[in-house]
Formats: sequence, structure tokens, C-alpha cells
Amino acid sequence: MSWSGAVDGLRAVVLWLMDLTSVPILVYFAVINASYLLLIVLASLDFRTEHRRRESEVEAFGGALTPGVSLLVPAHNEAAGIVASVQALLSLRYPRHEVVVVDDGSSDGTFDRLREAFDLVEVPRRLPQDVPVRARVVDVHVPRDGRTRLLVVRKENSGRSEAVNLALNAATEPLVAMIDADSILEPDALLRVTQPFTDDPTRVVAAGGAIRPVNGSRVVSGRIVSVRMPRQWLARIQVVEYLRAFLLGRTGWSRSGALILISGAFGIFRRDVVVEVGGLDPTSIGEDFELVLRIHRCMRDQGRDYRVAFVPEPVSWTEVPSTTRVLRSQRRRWHRGLWETLWAYRGMLLRPRYGRVGLVALPYYWVFELFAPLLELFGIVIVPLALLLGVVDIPYALLFLALAYGLAILVTLSAMAAEEWSFHRHDRWRDLGLTLVASVLENIGYRQLTVWWRLEGWWASLRGRKQVWGVMTRTGFEERAP
Amino acid sequence: MTARTLLFLTPTVVLAACLGLVLVIVGTKVARTRRERRTAALVAPYRIDLLAVSAGEDDDGSHRARLAQADGPGRDALDEAMTTLLGKVRGTPADHLAEVLHAHGAIDRAMDDLEHRSSVRRARAAQLLGLCHIHRALTGLAAALGDPTPEVRASAAHALGLIGNPAVARRVLDAVGTSHPIPAGAAADALEGMGTGISEALRDALHDASPTVRTVAAQVSGEGAFTRSTPRLRELLTHDPDLTVRETVAEALAHLGRAEDVEVLARHTAGEQPTPLRRACVTALGELGEPSAAPLLAALLDDADPRLAEQAATALLCLGTVGREALGDRQGPAADTARILAQLRTAQAGTS
Repeated sequence: MSWSGAVDGLRAVVLWLMDLTSVPILVYFAVINASYLLLIVLASLDFRTEHRRRESEVEAFGGALTPGVSLLVPAHNEAAGIVASVQALLSLRYPRHEVVVVDDGSSDGTFDRLREAFDLVEVPRRLPQDVPVRARVVDVHVPRDGRTRLLVVRKENSGRSEAVNLALNAATEPLVAMIDADSILEPDALLRVTQPFTDDPTRVVAAGGAIRPVNGSRVVSGRIVSVRMPRQWLARIQVVEYLRAFLLGRTGWSRSGALILISGAFGIFRRDVVVEVGGLDPTSIGEDFELVLRIHRCMRDQGRDYRVAFVPEPVSWTEVPSTTRVLRSQRRRWHRGLWETLWAYRGMLLRPRYGRVGLVALPYYWVFELFAPLLELFGIVIVPLALLLGVVDIPYALLFLALAYGLAILVTLSAMAAEEWSFHRHDRWRDLGLTLVASVLENIGYRQLTVWWRLEGWWASLRGRKQVWGVMTRTGFEERAP
Repeated sequence: MTARTLLFLTPTVVLAACLGLVLVIVGTKVARTRRERRTAALVAPYRIDLLAVSAGEDDDGSHRARLAQADGPGRDALDEAMTTLLGKVRGTPADHLAEVLHAHGAIDRAMDDLEHRSSVRRARAAQLLGLCHIHRALTGLAAALGDPTPEVRASAAHALGLIGNPAVARRVLDAVGTSHPIPAGAAADALEGMGTGISEALRDALHDASPTVRTVAAQVSGEGAFTRSTPRLRELLTHDPDLTVRETVAEALAHLGRAEDVEVLARHTAGEQPTPLRRACVTALGELGEPSAAPLLAALLDDADPRLAEQAATALLCLGTVGREALGDRQGPAADTARILAQLRTAQAGTS
């Protein structure tokens, strides 16, 4: 076949593909952006309630019905920051809480740091097997002072989920909060995130708190003292992304009664419910997502009246990847987890017995979260190809691209407007400017890269490749004297 | 309109919307910053007086007099600042702040605002009336428990707790179980502020169809040691269909139970009961402090649930001599851990 023949053939294929997909893609495109805007509207309503509440109500936390909380902290090679983290967790404002650290076979002296800082002594405690844990428990320690509510359990290395499950077994309070050892909670975070449980003690089974990137902010003694935008554009874009997808998206889902994802970095659950469903699944990549779906399924199967809530105001600050290597690993893992969990729970899809979770949230996640990168990749490939082959005229293609990315920016700006009106965590004008620029830059390169990485994760799962967690290289918080 | 025109028009509209949103974001920030600065400037001349009154250092009333003279926008800003302070101070300083608010006419305005169309105004009014302990607002606040807006209902419940009149206890409990409920936590806190006159309302609420109402009533019964609730609590421990209610009842019995409740609690430590309830009952037996629980607790030291066994050992140590004798020289992780923890606590108490 001659070169021109090949080009003609390719042109015909591209034309055929464009004819075939143009209408479905336009519809998809309109629906996905409309759904984002709808979620933002729903979240804004929630923010308005929260705003009014703050404006008009005396804040009365920590009252008679406030349940005790066990903070579950899995730690693997966290020697650098573990003592500061535990001290910060112990000093949170809350009437009754304990910290349970599970040292997951660290080799960097994580336990030694804890033993030294808290003067730990060993106790011969046997931990219940409320949820099964395969790894052997090495020993259990408590502080010598007899009053600091800290428990440190050492176990053989077997992964984060098993560490959380062991901490769950060791926990003694009715609520358990899963906290990453490197996260920073605001002083009132526990009081606020447990509020749904206090307000509705018989129905609420789980609640998630907002997570925001800490990069660039000033941290003193494990506390955020001033919120700043990160120095790298990669992290700045993630600030915008977290705001749109995590804060507003999840608040919107919570408002519509169909929240199916609570981040493992800051989620709080009724202990008896997590035990009842069997704890975290150690074989799952998206273990937090999987747990919440399992809770929904269990509750719905039993016909129980229950609620899963999201509280936008308590904030857990976490370090986000500042290099493309780490970000790639994270996004691959997230998308792989999404796919494997959605596939595992496909039986809930479109089943009326699972209510809005089965009829709205799961179909949405399948169509607009799982397949979104596939369609976006199709667009990224086909539009330049069509331009190259002269199948579409340049102004037409440019207008289409302007519309596509313009709508994406519009969604992000809507999220920013809601944030600025309600929480406005970034005080400085400079930070506001950087956020606005980041909302535009997100669409130039970043978005296309994450599309590719997400597809890599999905593909690896389909090929049955073993998931390698990788190492999140932490640069640490900017600790400065006040 | 052709497809091409539409395609040209749509990005233009989107671009305009984006620019509009940027303006909204900037405008919001500017407006907020200006509002905060203006409020700070209005309150600034009175800052020393505010500090003196809220710190209880206004014996001659001169600072109050100056605050009472405030007028115009300064007075409104001051009222807002004093309301915030009222939520943080108690006793004489709180009375003095309320006195100034009276002088400003803020209380009368709040009475009217309870029916204002703005939910923020209604909620703020309820808050102020509660903080100033305005008894004549009782009827209006009780009616606000059924307000369509959640924050107004919550503020009203909070205010009723601050006023502390037990006559509205039943209204508060009823409001927990409606389709537009008040938060259970706010209700429990309000009831705890109403003193001993709520025992009948609590006892009745333990029969309510809503598990949340029963939970609140059980919790408050236990915290306040309302012994008239005890017979019904015993029934609920056995028969309530909701596990949260039963666990709360076990905690309540730990606070107000008597010797005969040992048997009631003991029944629910049996192996066929739900694990959380068994554990709650064992802890309750320790807190109850009745020596007659010792044999049962000793028998639980060998329970298959290591948490329950350790709780039993800890509970025995709470029972004094009888409990310690029952624990005797029993070996094993449960007994040993309980002993070590008790020793650590004692050593700490000795050094501090």
C-alpha cells in the first residue's frame, strides 16, 4: 500500500470514528460537567448551612453525648515524624480519646523513638481478634505515667490494612478514626467530625473529614500555623484538584445521601460496624473505598436505617506528591483501586435495594470516574490526528477544545467561589492568584498526564500485575519557629 | 441557529462565565476583608471597656456605662462582639454584658427576631435570648424547636438549656424524634441544664418510639442519676431492639444502678449477647462498685474474649478488697495487664 493510500485509509478511519463518537462524546461531556456543577451546587447548599450555623449558633462541642474516639495510626518507617504526630494527636481538643499506634514492622527505629518519648512499658495484653489479623503481634506497650492514653502495638510487617485492623482490635472506644501518621489534624477536627455521630447517634455509621494539601504551609510542633500555597506548580494544581474533587465533590455526594468514598487518611467510623463488616480488606488496593461500599451493602442488606456523612470543615492536612514519579504511582494506585472495587461490587450496580448508592453513585463512578480517562485519551489522540489529516478544520477544533477546557475551568472556578465564600482557608491575595492560575494550568499537561497514569493503573490490573505500593517520598513540613 | 454558530457561542458564554466567577471570587474576598476591617474599627473604641467588663473588672460600672452609650453601627457591632463574649464567660461578667445588651434594646429586638423571615436572624435571636437567660422567651424558643431551619432548632435547644427551665423538657425530647429533629447532642446538653425537674419527662421519653429519643433520655438519666428512670432502663437493657440504646442504658445503670442491678447487668454479659453490649455491661459492673458482682467478674477472667477478660479484671480492681481478693493471684494476660495498669496509675498518683 502506498503512503497516500495509508493516509487516506487512516483519514477514513478517523472520520468514521468521529462520526460514530461525536454525539455520544458531546452528550457525555455535557452530562459530566453538568454533574460536577450539580455536585458543587449541592455542596454549596451544605456550606451555606455550615456558614449559617457558624454565624448563628454558639458552638457547643464535647457535650454529654460526645462518643469516645480511638485514633488508629498505622506506622511503617515513620521514625522522623512519629513522635510529633502522636503528641499532636494526643493534644487534640476532645473529651475522651486514645491513640493506638501500630508499628508495622518498621526497620528505622520508629518504635524506639516512641519508647523514648513516652517512656513506654510492655504489658502482656492479649488483643481480641474482632477482625482477623494474620500477622503476629510482637508486643504491646503503654506509657509509664499510667494516664496518657496511648497504646503502641508492634507487629510483623504485613501492610497498612492489617495494621489498621490490628489497631481496630486494640481500640477501646466506640468510634475509630483512621489517621495517617504523617497527617496533621486541626485542633478541633475530632470535635467537628464526630458531630454527626453526636447529633444522630443511632443512625450515623461513618463520617469523612476534608483533606487538604499541607505543602508550603507553616507547621509548628505538629500544628498548622499559617496556610500557604505550595512552591511547586505540581502541588499547587493538586490544591485546586483536592478542593474541587474531594471537598466539594464529597460534600455534594453526602448532601445527596450517596457518599461512597471516605478517604483513608481521615475517616471516622463506628467501631462495631467496622467489626461487623470485617474491617479493612488487606487484599484491596482501594481499601477505604472498599470499606465504605461494604458498609453500605451490609446496612442495605439488613434493611437498617443509617447514614454516611461528610463534614467539610474539620481539616486533615496531608503532604501531596511534589514529583511526577510519586504522583504517577499514586494515581495509578488510585485508579486501579477504583476499578477493582467497582468490579468487586458490580452486584450493587443499578439494584434498587441499594438505593441512591446503587442507582446513582455507583453508575456515576463507573461512567464518569472509571471511564473518564479512557474517553479523554480518545479525545487527546483523535483531535490532533484529525487536525493533522485535515479531517476537521482548525477553527472548529480550537473552538471545541476551548469549550472542553473552558468548562473544566468553569467547574474549578465554581468550586473556588464556594470555597472563598465559605471557608477561605488561604488568606493571602497572592495565594488566591496562584490558585486561579493553577485552575487554568491544570488543563495544560497535568490533566493529560494523570489521564495516562490512571489508564496505566487500570491496564496493570487487567493484566493481573501485582500492585507495588511504592514509596511516598516526603519532603517534610516546613517547621519554623513562630 | 447553526451548529457552527452554537459552537462559537458556547465557548464565549463559558469564557464570560469564567470571568464572572473570577470577579465573584475577588469581590467576595474584598467584601469580606472590608467588612472585617469595618467591624474591627467600630469595636476598637470600646475594646478596653469590653475587656474590663468581660474580665469582671468593672466594679464601679463606668465601663458598662460607656458601652451602654454606644449608638448607631457601633452599637450593632458591639452587640455582636458581646454576644460572642457571652458564650465564653460566666457569672458576674456575663450578667454585666447582658445588662448592656438590655440597655441597647438587643433583647427586645431578639424577641421580635424569633419570627423574622431570615433564619440567621432567628437563630441569632435564640442564641442571644438563651445566653441572657430571658425566661419570658421560653414560649418562643420552645416554638422554635419546630423551625424549618436546622440551625434555628439547634440554637433554640441550646438556648433552652441555658435558661434551664424544666417545663420545656418534654418539648425538647419530643423535638429529637420528629422528621425535622434537633440534634441529639444539643438536646442532651439542654436537658442536663434543666436540673432535677425533668425526671418525669425522661421516664416518659424512655418509652418513645424513636431510638434517638430513648438514647438521649437514657444518657441524661445516667448522667444526672435520675433514679425514677431505673425500672424502665432495666427493661430497655433486655428488650430494646437498638444496640446503641442498650449500650447507653448499660452506661446509665453504671451511674444510677443499685445492688439489684448487678444481676440485670450480669445477664447481659452472657456469651450469646452482642460483644459491644457484653463489654459495656462488664465495665458498668465495675463502675457500679457492688461487691456482689465479684464472683461473676471472676468467672469472666477466662472468657474467650480477651478484651472482656481484661475489663473484668479491671472491674474487679474497682470493687475494692472483695474484688482484689476475687482476683487473688490469678495469672494470665488479662489479670496481669489490669494489675500493671492499676500499679502504673497508683504510682503516678503517688508522685503527682
